[in-house]
Amino acid sequence: MNLRLIYLYRNLTRNVRRTLLTCAAVGLPIMIYVLSMSVVHGVDKFLENSAKQLRIVVTQKTSIVNPLPQGHRRKIEALDPTQQRLTAVCGVQWIGGQRANDPTPLSLMAADHDSFIPAMPEYQLTPSEIEAWQKDRQAIIVGSGPAGQMGWKVGDRISIVPTLPPYRAMEFHVVSTAPDAPDNQSIFFRKDFLDEELKKDGFPEGLVSFFFVKCASKKDLDDFRQLIDTTFAGSLDETRSLDEKTFMNEFIAQQFDLPRNLAILSGLTVFVAIMAAMNTMSMNFRDRIAEMATLKSLGFSGGFAFSLIQTESLLLCSLGGLIGAMVPFILFTFTPAKDFQVPLIVTLVVEMSTCLKALGIAVFIGVVAGLWPSWLAMRMHVVRALRNLE
Amino acid sequence: MALPLTYNWRNLFVRKLSTSLTFAVVTIIVAVLSILLSFAAGINESLRSTGNPANIIVLRTGATAESTSIINQAEANRVLQAPNIAQDANGRAMVSQELCAQTTLPRKDVRGIANVAVRGVDDIAFILHKEVRLTEGRMFEPGKLEVIVGKAAQERYQHLGMGEVVPMGRSGDREYKVVGVFESNGSAMESEIWAARTNIMDSFRRQFVSSVVVQVKDASLAREAVGYIQGPAVRLKAKTETEYYEDLTSKTREIVILTSVLITLMGIGAVFAVANTMYAAVDSRRREIAMLRTIGFLRRSIITAFVLESLFICMSACLCGLVVAALVSGMIAKQDFLSDTTWTVLAYDLKMTPWTIGVALALAASVGVIGGLAPALRASRTRIIEALRKA
Repeated sequence: MNLRLIYLYRNLTRNVRRTLLTCAAVGLPIMIYVLSMSVVHGVDKFLENSAKQLRIVVTQKTSIVNPLPQGHRRKIEALDPTQQRLTAVCGVQWIGGQRANDPTPLSLMAADHDSFIPAMPEYQLTPSEIEAWQKDRQAIIVGSGPAGQMGWKVGDRISIVPTLPPYRAMEFHVVSTAPDAPDNQSIFFRKDFLDEELKKDGFPEGLVSFFFVKCASKKDLDDFRQLIDTTFAGSLDETRSLDEKTFMNEFIAQQFDLPRNLAILSGLTVFVAIMAAMNTMSMNFRDRIAEMATLKSLGFSGGFAFSLIQTESLLLCSLGGLIGAMVPFILFTFTPAKDFQVPLIVTLVVEMSTCLKALGIAVFIGVVAGLWPSWLAMRMHVVRALRNLE
Repeated sequence: MALPLTYNWRNLFVRKLSTSLTFAVVTIIVAVLSILLSFAAGINESLRSTGNPANIIVLRTGATAESTSIINQAEANRVLQAPNIAQDANGRAMVSQELCAQTTLPRKDVRGIANVAVRGVDDIAFILHKEVRLTEGRMFEPGKLEVIVGKAAQERYQHLGMGEVVPMGRSGDREYKVVGVFESNGSAMESEIWAARTNIMDSFRRQFVSSVVVQVKDASLAREAVGYIQGPAVRLKAKTETEYYEDLTSKTREIVILTSVLITLMGIGAVFAVANTMYAAVDSRRREIAMLRTIGFLRRSIITAFVLESLFICMSACLCGLVVAALVSGMIAKQDFLSDTTWTVLAYDLKMTPWTIGVALALAASVGVIGGLAPALRASRTRIIEALRKA
């Protein structure tokens, strides 16, 4: 056993250059894998929360851009007067925005302040934050993404210029940066404040981009999703209701389908790593045919030769995988890179579980890469191999 | 004296497995690079070819796109006073009021929906946007519920065939008949549906327009008109069309950045893979190299030979990768994306531009040279006596 360990160590250090090159050739694809999958997981986590929250999103039937009248809220609420099955209906108007002299787009939305808290429990506001939100008309909840980017803190007075009416700078008071919200990009302020500002400038008020309808159970979600659309069928403002996950997915799929395409890409990189590692192992084997033959002629079994090459391949790839997985993990956990934003979707979080999975893939690459040479070594005909040597 | 090329060529086939594995690595990387770049090139092309530098697009101050802009009639009229406005053959001012609405249509190829832009225009719009021309059918008649559809939109979304009916309007109950198809040199407008402005205003119950497009007599006069419109007389936001569509390409910049990061990482990985193979090639041929040196080949020739060998692998893999990329891009050519500025879909075709191909060739060449150089130098430094004696 000891002999084998020494032998393995010697093999890996025999051609240090080759070992390092292979580690790099395996490590880099693993790094790409880790980065891509981290984005995919970020999106998944976001979607999972959407599913878990049991919310219906009600939009205008012809297009998400067309507004619905605010009055729909009462009609939806009336579908369940007990409020046991539909627990909250929150109207939200997307207005988007930018800071003055800064083109970074902000996902600014106005929400019904009275139903926002029960409809969006995942924001986990503290009692004092809730109190501030209820009391202050200019209250705003800034997602941790933009809050970090712009350096906004609770208690700050901030100014945002919406891209929709009233089209002029609006002043807000930050009451929370919602550090625990799965959606860290959105910014919510109170709709009564928006309507008041719209009225001042003579713009139409009381419009809603979509309603979030919080349901008590999965069954309620399915029942009411259809019931809402039937209720408004034939009216001037027909609706299209979806569960929140489907709604979000429709958006993401139209934004270059980032999750799907990154998954394809990471699959390809794993493939590249397999080929790179396979190349090294076959070269190693070719260089050591004589040695293998000698070992076998000394009485070491074919299984020994097989396991020797397999373990070497495994070690080599795991080492590369370890480096490839740890670099992004450290980079995006402990350095300033951790605030990096994937456009529109998530803050990039490299999770330990992704890294472990990548390491597992590196081990798999090691097994696959070593398979052919170790098979050859096991089946090698000693006499023929020795005879062929120069 | 240089070594004959057949020497390198034949050597590639001595180590078939190594050569083909390295070949495959470079092929995949080149293919991925080219496809990613084709995405960026396709989007850029569709947005760049939109817009005439003499056309000024006027939006509400604060709005970032036509779809979020609201301009009322009084404001639209003030734009008419801007200086240097061109006139058409009938002496009309070249000012086009346009209304941007949206309608959701099912996609043709995959499941899902698309938020398609609907543009309500007057007949003067076709003089301002002269690149828009009918390729099939006829123009819509004002007053009738008729539309003409962009070619890119027709290719991607349902209900847009000639003679088909598209439900539109605020309640989705106005049925517009498709009477024509238009092209506009592959610009962003080809992703849209066009109809008479009065009809669209009525169907979508909008009492305003989204944008006013003004054509000045000459592109060089655009600055003055922009200044007037943004000034106290009108107080609206004005940009030349070229600038407006340039701004929409910010999305491409994100893809290009992402692509560059990934490609740099993959490229470095490829360099290592190639270097590894070439080192092995050098190591196994020490005697041969010593022999070549003995019979009078210079170090320089040995270096050239090994770098050439590495280039052989990389460049042939590059060609193969480009072919793969062309096939794949061909299969998935018809793309679109939901712009986060306009909230409508912008169609584009994946394009393998000369630039894409150039970048791919450059990547493969540098991988070949960088990956081959160190091993080649090592080969050239082979100690002749020792290498020969060892055997």
